[in-house]
Amino acid sequence: MQHCTHCNVEILETRTTCPLCGNKLPAPQEKESVVSFPQIPSYLKSHMTLRILLFVSIVMVVLSFTIYFIFPTELNWPLLLLLGLLSIWLDMIFLVQKRFHIPKKIVWQVAIISLLSVFWDWNTGWRGWSLNYVIPLLCITALLLMYSIAVIMKLGNRDYITYAFMSALFGFIPILFLLFDWVTVEYPSIISIAVSFIFLSAIFILQGNSIKTEIEKRFHI
Amino acid sequence: MKENKKIRWRRLDNASKIFPPTVTNRDTKVFRLYCELTEEVDPKLLQEAVSPTLDSFPLYRSVLRRGAFWYYFESSDLEPVVEEESRPICAPLYLKEEKSLLFRVFYFKKRISVEIFHALSDGAGANWFFETLIYHYMTLKHKNDLPEDFPTLRYKASMSQKMDDSFEKTYYKKRAAENVDKSPSVKAYQLRGTKVEENRTKLIEGTLSVKKVLELAHEYNTTLTVFMTALYFYAINKDMPSKMRKDPVVLQVPINLRQFFESNTARNFFATMNIQYDFSRESHELQDIIHSVSESFKNELTRDKVNHHLDQLMALEKNPFARVIPLPVKDLALKIANHIKDRQITSSISNVGRIIMPKEFEPYIHKFSVFVSARRPQIVMCSYRDQLVVSFTSPYQDTDLQRTYFEFLTSRGIQVGISSNL
Repeated sequence: MQHCTHCNVEILETRTTCPLCGNKLPAPQEKESVVSFPQIPSYLKSHMTLRILLFVSIVMVVLSFTIYFIFPTELNWPLLLLLGLLSIWLDMIFLVQKRFHIPKKIVWQVAIISLLSVFWDWNTGWRGWSLNYVIPLLCITALLLMYSIAVIMKLGNRDYITYAFMSALFGFIPILFLLFDWVTVEYPSIISIAVSFIFLSAIFILQGNSIKTEIEKRFHI
Repeated sequence: MKENKKIRWRRLDNASKIFPPTVTNRDTKVFRLYCELTEEVDPKLLQEAVSPTLDSFPLYRSVLRRGAFWYYFESSDLEPVVEEESRPICAPLYLKEEKSLLFRVFYFKKRISVEIFHALSDGAGANWFFETLIYHYMTLKHKNDLPEDFPTLRYKASMSQKMDDSFEKTYYKKRAAENVDKSPSVKAYQLRGTKVEENRTKLIEGTLSVKKVLELAHEYNTTLTVFMTALYFYAINKDMPSKMRKDPVVLQVPINLRQFFESNTARNFFATMNIQYDFSRESHELQDIIHSVSESFKNELTRDKVNHHLDQLMALEKNPFARVIPLPVKDLALKIANHIKDRQITSSISNVGRIIMPKEFEPYIHKFSVFVSARRPQIVMCSYRDQLVVSFTSPYQDTDLQRTYFEFLTSRGIQVGISSNL
């Protein structure tokens, strides 16, 4: 066993310096070294990819604006690029943050993509494609996706039922589109409402109790 | 939608409620217990020992989730996997979006370790869980060496007793209303230093002889816990820049409430007391510090005082207005409250106490140790047979405080064995 003459303590593992005073220790007499804790490597490198992507995005935006100012065009295309990249990053942030919980992630994606599509539609001259197609189709996809993921990943009811419930509610939003005559193409909205209706009734009839306990659990005071 | 099993969930007990909102990367609210054996650990047997242990402690099978108003435990089917140690000490266990168990079991050479998120259990509860795990491991490993009549594990409590929320049981609403604390808050002296990179925790662990330390404590006519606490005050003072001496030193000491109320819960059941010493006005001699600490312990550890502590803790939780505040707001409020309370203490010291194992295991077990994630230097200690392990964990590189502490003991002829993780 090594002994620190300065602190007058025994060192229980093989070391070059004393952990208390930092002074150099005499070489150990035993041949076999004693290790109490493993050396844990640094984990700082892991976020490098994200940083590089962020850097590339910024370079792209700066370059496009530079080109635009040197060779002006009628369409302000660098602004569109900037907004496009911002949209992707916004979505990415949510994807990464909610990464542990797939059903929750799907619900968030529906909300974010819906908002972004309305924003883009409005920004590019309001042709109505976001309400006509994107939102209804998104709701249908979310419901089907959630069900298939639940089957494939063998998720228990409780892991996804609340979120299935929420996305089924989302699926009813196109009722508003039809009522207020916001859409020019009606069939995606109609299908979305029908699918949501089927899902909701399945949830209530087959899993009514689960929904009840889920609500009790999540809302206990 | 195959399984139709009833989902079981549980509220967090009073003491647990503070942990989830105040978790940070630096202070993960995770503590570790390890047992050093006299031989290398057999990972396969350790894995085998986990499942009977969990059967006796069903709460350990839960994950922590967020409701609209409170956090709650939800039972889960996750199976813990025994791994070789590969993380920094007290690495995070509770991540907001991840449904994972709130403890981990791992090994490294001769050591079996568990790390536990504090919302699940306190030191005494965790100790009990760990003793059970070691019991199962030992009986698997040394089946043939143990005598025929080797006792099976004695259960100290029924399953429901272990899952008990003892705070709930010992609380009287009426009493709480009368017991409102009016003592003014003081800012305590704060320990500072250079932080370790990557939010890692530095552990300095001193192994001493229980007998020798007890003899020394008896020389001062006091108990081991009081002696070690007073010595901590003494070391902090020696290390303190004199211009900082205007602020009192305040040590937070947890009280195991099981000794005051009939409880056998494996969950959290503790309160804390703050022991104060003002070096700007009081003597710097160890003898005098011991006297003062001993008096404070006596005053704080009376039935009345403990009841008072408990009622205060419960009063807020039972406040109908507080209960309907949405969780994110509650989180923020608790974070702020915690920050304010933090300024009122310098450090904390906790004696988890003696760990008792069947006599037949003695040849195979060398020592036990407990330590906790730290946002400031702090001490946790425990003993097994004649080995007292005093663990300092700290977010700082600096080790002057630890050196002063152990130097005093070596100067009094007690041999100290030092170990560290960094």
